[in-house]
Amino acid sequence: MIAKTTHIKDTKKLVGSLPAMRYTEPKYLYIAMANARCPKAELFIKEGDHVNSCQVIGVRHAAFFDQPIHATCSGTFVGLEKHYHRNGKLTDFIKLENDFKDTIDPSVKQRTPEEIAALTKEDMTQIVKDCALVGLGGSSFPTYIKFQTDKPINMILINGIECEPYITADHRLMLEYPYRIIDAIKYAMQAFKCNKAKICIKSKYKDIKQVYEEILKDYGDNRIELCCVKNYYPQGWEVAMIKEATGIELKPGELPSNRGIMNFNVSTMVGLYKAIKYNMPVIKRFITITGDGIKKPMNFRVRVGTSIKDLLDEYCGGYIHPEKDKVFIIGGPMMGNSVPSDDIIITKTVTSIIVLDKENGGVEQPCVRCGSCVLSCPVHLEPVQIMNAVKVMDKERIKALNPLKCIECGLCAYSCTSKIQVTDYVRRAKIFAKL
Amino acid sequence: MTIIKESAPHLRRKASVTRMMVDVLIALAPTLIFSFIVFPIHTLVFYLISVITMVGAEFVYVGLKNMMPADGQKHTFKEKFAYAYKGKFNQNNILTAAISAIIYTLIMPAGAPIYAVIIGALAGIILGKLVFGGLGSNIFNPAAVGMIFAKLCFGGQYLPVGYFDSTKEVPFGYIKPTTWYYTANTITNSVGEIVAGPTPLGDVNSGLYSNMGNYSLFDMVLGKIPGTLGEVYVITIIIGAIYLLIRRSADIRVMLPYLGTFGLLSLIAGLSIYSVDGATSPIRFTLYYCLSGGVLFGGVFMLTDPVTSPINSPSRIIYAMVAAVATIFIRLFAALPEGVGFSILIANMIAVVLDHYEWSSSRYTWKKFLTMGLLFVVPALIIFFAIKFGGIYHV
Repeated sequence: MIAKTTHIKDTKKLVGSLPAMRYTEPKYLYIAMANARCPKAELFIKEGDHVNSCQVIGVRHAAFFDQPIHATCSGTFVGLEKHYHRNGKLTDFIKLENDFKDTIDPSVKQRTPEEIAALTKEDMTQIVKDCALVGLGGSSFPTYIKFQTDKPINMILINGIECEPYITADHRLMLEYPYRIIDAIKYAMQAFKCNKAKICIKSKYKDIKQVYEEILKDYGDNRIELCCVKNYYPQGWEVAMIKEATGIELKPGELPSNRGIMNFNVSTMVGLYKAIKYNMPVIKRFITITGDGIKKPMNFRVRVGTSIKDLLDEYCGGYIHPEKDKVFIIGGPMMGNSVPSDDIIITKTVTSIIVLDKENGGVEQPCVRCGSCVLSCPVHLEPVQIMNAVKVMDKERIKALNPLKCIECGLCAYSCTSKIQVTDYVRRAKIFAKL
Repeated sequence: MTIIKESAPHLRRKASVTRMMVDVLIALAPTLIFSFIVFPIHTLVFYLISVITMVGAEFVYVGLKNMMPADGQKHTFKEKFAYAYKGKFNQNNILTAAISAIIYTLIMPAGAPIYAVIIGALAGIILGKLVFGGLGSNIFNPAAVGMIFAKLCFGGQYLPVGYFDSTKEVPFGYIKPTTWYYTANTITNSVGEIVAGPTPLGDVNSGLYSNMGNYSLFDMVLGKIPGTLGEVYVITIIIGAIYLLIRRSADIRVMLPYLGTFGLLSLIAGLSIYSVDGATSPIRFTLYYCLSGGVLFGGVFMLTDPVTSPINSPSRIIYAMVAAVATIFIRLFAALPEGVGFSILIANMIAVVLDHYEWSSSRYTWKKFLTMGLLFVVPALIIFFAIKFGGIYHV
């Protein structure tokens, strides 16, 4: 089929209309020592120590910033254990035994509206840094770096598009915490001294639209608008979203702040609300557990550090076909990582777990040059040409085809009529092009 | 249960190569069936010959390509066979060869001798496809290569006009070209492809249009005009084209620019002729040019073959326009009656150039629009003035 692919078959209806399950008290919680951006970490506590919820228990070191590690429940530090991190690597995790008392650390305190109104951008940057807030949509880019920009910002965009199929965590979050999101937008507008904000959602989500139209009417604040974007994949990609919402087309690699735009994910906004209002780090988050491999797909609001295994067995009813081979995906089915084990821990940036039954139907055929990948590519690359260049290791050709523009949305492999893993070739081309 | 690690994306679209090929087969079916009704023995024999030849060649090729390397041990034939063919010869190999065979059958004239059909089919599949590496790697359209090879090598042996007379016996190796579909008028006036003579356009003065002028527009739409086995049945070809476009198994960016450019350029030729003789209707000329010969068939089924087209959409439009310009030049000015086969091969060569990495891009730039504009304007000027000052005796 020679056509541009813009839609991906979706099963969101399954889980989107159910309220998120509050499962907040597992016996053990696991907190990652290192993550993709911070390879080294150091601990402030030793085995047997009692910790409070939200207490700083260590610090992760990265090349140019430090990130405090917070306990996500109160209890005892048991020791270090190896589990799979969301990037698919075995990583040391801090194991905390929950005492179910949920004693909150004294550093958490509510700020009065007057105190908040007095906060400047520098204060907020410091708060966000101390709370270790990162991009919770999956990028895990430290939010305080975004706050440090000295460029004038005249528009804040809130990304609630969630264009990947299967995932509904942000959808539920937007429905369940609209006030937090709008308050957080106000804080951000105060910090950047800007007078315009847009909440971007897919136009097919009539329920979110209804909720926010009502609430914004209530607030009487006409600086915040709702912006319905088209239902395409990958509409949640920031360049596509900015183009749709403001008409500004970013050049490849250009930061949105250069054009006076600051964009945040909705879950980051809820994190920002907690940080500013209560000085509280992210200890709970929304996740979706879904896929055609499990019996009961569901949304959860869980403590960061919960093990997926418990959730799957206790609440999702296990697998439909336990004998079939499975793929475990962290993140969306188009861009997410697959992990080699079901022993996964929910970190701050895990948005969803998708369990798919592996069908052995997709036998790779020779490419017939139908051009679907070229038509579908949102950054106007030619994945098939890149693939051919990688096959013959022609470095000059790979560089000329500019694979570094690729955003790895996966549409080339999705649309391939020959079932070739084109995205993999483009990834390899990116490595070659960097050499 | 084992947990598999794979790289993203984890979902796949339902569409497959097999589906696209089956679509082309379905789109070709009406034309093939109609051709079978008109020329039952010819279509059946030519198709069987070419499909056996082409699928057989593909089968042998796969076996040779995946031959078991000598490892010093003895293997039974069965083992060797399984090594060479298991998972490597599948429905797609058969389907592509079958599609090539159908197209090849439909563009062969009924007067071709059997051995020319066999050799043409072999040349088409081997020179057009297998030497480049089989499915997905070929540069040229195998059917067009086969047809042109047969015509260049054995064109002199194609049955001349006289054999359409039912009383005359045909020599050994030919199939008697009789059919109920054509009127006696058609047969005697045939100089086209059905009975392509020693030199198809030996008498240059009797050009394509002056012969076509003998037929009504109605006859042309019904396909009651000289032509090859299947290329003139306008209605069935249009049905196939609509099916292909609805199923998106052929690219509209190739089909429409080709037919559109060809139509406009022939309109300009018609206008030029009108300006010289003041009698020929340009509209009528354009319709006759578009409906006769292999333009529709080639534009719908042959040029749109994705394997031999460029990869991105602006290049595809340029490619189709090149093919259209080549077709009209060959038709108007060359010593050949019919240029679709050649023009498709020329465009196939251009496709490789258009895909070169230094300028291949899926974005429409002003350079590409300029190329498209020049590809229309320059041939239009050439056609207009060549006919105006060069005369119309050969058109």
